[in-house]
Amino acid sequence: MREIELVIIGGGPAGLAAAVKAYELGLRDILIIERDIELGGILQQCIHDGFGLHRFGKQLSGSSYAQKFIDKVEEYNIPVYCNTMVIELTEDKKITAVSPQEGLLHIQAKSIILAMGCRERTRSQVRILGTRPAGVMTAGAVQRYINIEGWKTGNRAVILGSGDIGLIMARRMTLEGIFVEGVYEVMPNLGGLRRNKAQCLDDYNIPLHLATTVVSVHGKQRVDGVTVAKVGPDRMPIEGTERYIPCDLLVLSVGLIPENELSRNAGLELHPITKGPIVDTTMMSSVDGIFVAGNVGAVFDLVDYVSLTGEVAAQGALSYLRGQRTHSNSIEVIAGDNVSFIFPQNFYATKDHKDNEKATLYMRVKKTMKKVRLEVTCNGQIIATKKERFATPPEMLSIDIPVDKILDGQLKINVLE
Amino acid sequence: MDQESVKKSIAQILEEKFRPNNISFTLDDDGLICFEGSMQTWQAMVDFCHAVAKLPNIKHVVSHIKTPEKIYKEPVDKTPYLKLGIIDEVDVLIIGGGVIGCGVARELSKYDINILLVEKASDISEGTTKCNNGMIHSGYDTKPNSLKAKYGVKGNAMYSKWAEELGFHFNRTGSFVCGFNQEDADIIQGLYENGMKNQVPGIEIISGERAREIEPNINDKVIVALWTPTAGYVEPYEVALALAENAIENGTKILLNTEVFDVLQENGKVTGVLTNRGIIKTKVIINSAGLYADEIARMAKDEFYTIHPRRGTLGILDKENKGKLHTFVGKAPSNYTKGGGPQETPEGTLLIGPSAKEVADKEDLGVDRDDLGFILDKTMELTKNISPDSLITFFSGNRAATFEEDFIIEPSKKLKGFIHVAGIQSPGLASAPAISEEVMNLTIAELGHEVAEKVNYNANHVFTKPFRDCSNEEREQLIAQNPAYGKVICRCETVTEAEIINAIHGVIPATTMDAVKRRTRAGMGRCQSGFCGAKVLDLLSKELKINPAEVTLKGPNSEILTEQTRNFQRGDSL
Amino acid sequence: MVEKEYICIICPVSCDLSLTDDNGDLSVSGNTCKRGEIYAKNEYTKPVRMITTTVAISGSVHPLIPVISTDMVPKEKLKECINLLYNLQLQAPIKEGDIIVKNILDTGVDIIAAKSVKKL
Repeated sequence: MREIELVIIGGGPAGLAAAVKAYELGLRDILIIERDIELGGILQQCIHDGFGLHRFGKQLSGSSYAQKFIDKVEEYNIPVYCNTMVIELTEDKKITAVSPQEGLLHIQAKSIILAMGCRERTRSQVRILGTRPAGVMTAGAVQRYINIEGWKTGNRAVILGSGDIGLIMARRMTLEGIFVEGVYEVMPNLGGLRRNKAQCLDDYNIPLHLATTVVSVHGKQRVDGVTVAKVGPDRMPIEGTERYIPCDLLVLSVGLIPENELSRNAGLELHPITKGPIVDTTMMSSVDGIFVAGNVGAVFDLVDYVSLTGEVAAQGALSYLRGQRTHSNSIEVIAGDNVSFIFPQNFYATKDHKDNEKATLYMRVKKTMKKVRLEVTCNGQIIATKKERFATPPEMLSIDIPVDKILDGQLKINVLE
Repeated sequence: MDQESVKKSIAQILEEKFRPNNISFTLDDDGLICFEGSMQTWQAMVDFCHAVAKLPNIKHVVSHIKTPEKIYKEPVDKTPYLKLGIIDEVDVLIIGGGVIGCGVARELSKYDINILLVEKASDISEGTTKCNNGMIHSGYDTKPNSLKAKYGVKGNAMYSKWAEELGFHFNRTGSFVCGFNQEDADIIQGLYENGMKNQVPGIEIISGERAREIEPNINDKVIVALWTPTAGYVEPYEVALALAENAIENGTKILLNTEVFDVLQENGKVTGVLTNRGIIKTKVIINSAGLYADEIARMAKDEFYTIHPRRGTLGILDKENKGKLHTFVGKAPSNYTKGGGPQETPEGTLLIGPSAKEVADKEDLGVDRDDLGFILDKTMELTKNISPDSLITFFSGNRAATFEEDFIIEPSKKLKGFIHVAGIQSPGLASAPAISEEVMNLTIAELGHEVAEKVNYNANHVFTKPFRDCSNEEREQLIAQNPAYGKVICRCETVTEAEIINAIHGVIPATTMDAVKRRTRAGMGRCQSGFCGAKVLDLLSKELKINPAEVTLKGPNSEILTEQTRNFQRGDSL
Repeated sequence: MVEKEYICIICPVSCDLSLTDDNGDLSVSGNTCKRGEIYAKNEYTKPVRMITTTVAISGSVHPLIPVISTDMVPKEKLKECINLLYNLQLQAPIKEGDIIVKNILDTGVDIIAAKSVKKL
C-alpha cells in the first residue's frame, strides 16, 4: 500500500486551489485524484464570464479560472491521476481507487482533502409529476452536451429554476439556437443574480415567471409539453392556474447538494442543512486528518469562496501533518437571527494562533434584507461586524473573525437589518 | 343460460349506478357477455363491468364500451407488411417479452422445437414487467380455487429453484399485513383464513411487538400483523432477462421491435402471424402480450376478455435507507385494489407502492399527485425512521387486469394452436414459474405430436458479477484483463465502462439508455443519470456504430440529442 | 428629459441604476462605483456585451474550445460575431489566452481562447 502525505479527492477549483496552496506551503508528497479525463471539474463546462472577480480582479470564464490553477499544478509538477475514481474511503484514511491505467489503487493517506463538489437535484426531488420521456434534463447535463460535446438536446425548452445556472443556460441555449419559452421559478423572487437576469433573460426577451412551477411532464417517448401552475405561499400549485406549454425539453436548475458518497463512506458527521460534512475553521471534518474544501462542504455561489476554502483546507492539512494541531477546543458557531446556516459550523480555538490571524465564516440568510449588519458575538461581546448593502438567501455572505481572541465560550452570528 | 334473468340483473345494475348510459350486449351459451355502446367515464365502465363479472352465470366480460377518455387508434394497413412475405417458420411463436413470455420460452427451450419470441418494444420487459414491485407474494389474499391462488402459491415455492438455476437475486424475506385497530384485525383474520385455504406455508397472526422483533422499523402504532414467511422479492426485469438469456442459450430466438398485426389461420388452425417484419409461420401461438393480450385475442377471432389497465405508481428511496427494512410491509386492505407498502430491493434501496388506479390508455404511465401522495403516506404510516425526502425516483406501470380479475390460461376453444395467457396481474410475477410450466405442457399438447427433450439443455444461467459486488482481488483481475473495468461511468452505482459495453453486446443487446440501465444499474442511482447519461450515450453510439443523435432513451422517438451545434468531426471525446 | 432604469451587469452586486438625459447631459444615480456610471451611459448610448462561446477544434479530446472576448463588443454586433465564430475550425494545440480572432468585425476587441487544449 502506497503512503501519501496529502491526497486530494477531486480536481475542480477546490481541489486545485488546495493542491497549489499545499505545494506553496512546502508540501511535496501530494496526489490529486480526478474522476474525469481532465482537471477543472464543472468549471470546464462553465464557459461564461463572471468568475474570479475577487481573486484575479477580473472576470474570467470558468474554464480560464480553472486553467490558472491547472497551469500552476503543471508548473509545480504535482502528481495527478485523472480518469480515476475513488470507490472506497475509510475512517483511517485508506483509499481504494480505480483507473484504466493504474488498475486498483490502494493508498494510505496521512491526510485527505475531500473536494468532490456537488451534484444537481433531480426531477423526483422536486416532485415533478407526469411521464418519464426523453428530454427532461438537469441544467448541468444540458450545459455539458452544449459546451463540451457540442450537441443540442432539444428545440423548444422550458427552464425550471431561476438560479444563476438556469439564467446562464437560458442565454446559452438561445445563442445555440434552442428557443427558450420561459424561465419558471417556484419562489416569489429571482433565484440568481439580478445582473444575470438583465444580460441573460432581458437581452433575449425571455420571460421570467415567478411563483410558478412545473407541475407535470407530458409525452410518452419524448417530452411534448409541460404543465405549469402558479404556486401559493406554501409553494403548492394553485388549482385552476394550470397552463399547458408545448416544448420538447425541460431543463431543471433546481438546486445543488454536496456530493457526499465518500463522506458517508468514511463516517464523517454530516450537517442536516448544508448536507455536507461538519467542519471546523481549519476545514477539518469530524474525522481527524480528513479535510473538506468547496462545495462538498456547503454549496457556494462564488468560485472564489470555493478556492479559498481549498486553501484553508490545505493550510489545515499541513498543520495536521506537521503535528501543529495542538489540543484545542471546537466551539459550535450558532446561527443567530436571520441566519439559516454557517459554514464552517465549528470554530477551531487554540492558543497557538498567530497575531492578527483571521478565520472566514460563510453564511446564508433566511430572507431578503437591505442594509444589513453582520455581527459576531463571543459570550455576548461583539468581536466582528460587517455591513452589506443587501442580503438574499441564494447569496453567501462572509465575515472574517479574529481568531486569537477566542478560546472558549459561546459564538454566535446575527444578521440584522 | 337464462338470458332473461341476466338481462334483468344488468338492467338493475345500470339503473342503480350507471345513468345515463347507452349499452347493449350479446350473451352466449358459455357465459360470455360482450358490451357495446358508450358510457360517461372510463371508471364507470370499469365499475360496471366489474359488477357484471360478479353475476352468477357470467364467466367472461368483453367491453367495447366507448368513453371520452379513451383514444382509439386507427387500424394498421396490413398490405405493405403482407408484401414482405414469409420471413421465418417456427413451431412455437410467443407474443410478448415480459416475464411470462420469457418464462414460457425458457421452459419450452427444453424441447427440441423451434421457438421464436416476438416483442414489439426495443427490449424485453418493457411493459408491465419493468414497472413491477418485484414482490413474490405468498398467496394469502387470492380467492381460493382461483387460478391466481393455484399458480401463486405453487409459483412462489418454485422460485428458489428458478433463482438458483437462473442466477437472479431472490430474497425470501417474508411479508407483513399490518393492522392498527380492531377493524384491521378482523380483516387480517379474514386474510388468515383465506391464506389457510390457499395453503400458504407458515402463515400466522402475530402481535405488533412480535412484528417489530422481526422488522424493527414497523410503526409503533401497529398492533397486529399477518406474517407470511414465504413471501420474497426479485428485480422483475432481471428475472425476465435471465429467462430470456437462458432461453436463447438453449436455442430460442428472440426478435425485438417486432409487432404483431394479425393472427393468420386456416380451417380453424393457426398458420402464423403478420408482423411489421413480414409473415412468420407457426404451429402454435402463445398470447402472452400482457396489456395487449385482448387485442391479440381479437386478431385470433377469439376475444373473450378485455384488459383494462390498472396503473400502479412506485417510488424508490435512496440507499441511505439500506438495512432499515428487510421484509415487505403492507397494510390491511380497506379496498381490494389498493396495493403495497415499502420493501427492500436487492440493491439496498427501498421500494414503495404501488397504488392502483384504472386508466383508459394502456400506455398511460404518468404519475399524479394522488398516487405519489398515497404511496408516501402509506410508507410513513406503516414504518418509522424512514424519510420521504430520500425519494430518488417514482414511476408507474400498468397491470393487465381482466374484469373477472383472474388469470386466463387455456388453449383457445375456437382456434386450434392458439393459447391464451392473459390477465396476468398480481400475483403474476410470483406465479410466473408455475404458469410457465403449465403453458409449456399446454403447448406440447397443442403441438399434438411427440416432442423430444434436448439432450444438451442447460438449465443454468450465469450473470456476470457486477464490479461493485466484486472483492478487491477480483476487481484487480478484471482491470488487468480489461482496462475498461477501471473506468467508472456511473458514480452513484459504481458501474464500469466494461460492464456497459458488455451489456450493449450482451445475449440480448441493450440498445437504449433504459436497457443499459436495467442491465447495469447505470443511471439508477441518486443522480438519475445526470452525470453518466452523456457517457452512456457516447458508448451506445460508438458500440452500436450509430450517430449520437440516434441513441434513444427507450426506443424510437425517444432520442436524447437533436443536432450537432457545430460542424465538427466526431473526436474521441469523453 | 429622458429617464431610464438599468440593472448594472458589471459585477454581482447588480446595482439599480437610474439615468437621466437632460438634453444630452447624462447623469447616473444608484451606482456604487464608477464602473456603474460608465455602464449606464454605455447602455444608453451604445450598449456593449461580453462574448463567451465555443469554437470547433480538431485534434483534441473534446470537439470544442471555449473562447472569450478581451472586452465588451457593441450589442448589435453580438450575433454577427458569434456567427463568425461558429464557422471557425481550429486545430489543437492552443493555449489559454491565444488570440483566436484579432479585432473581431473591427470592434477593436480580440477573441481569445479560454482554455489550454493539448494535442491528442
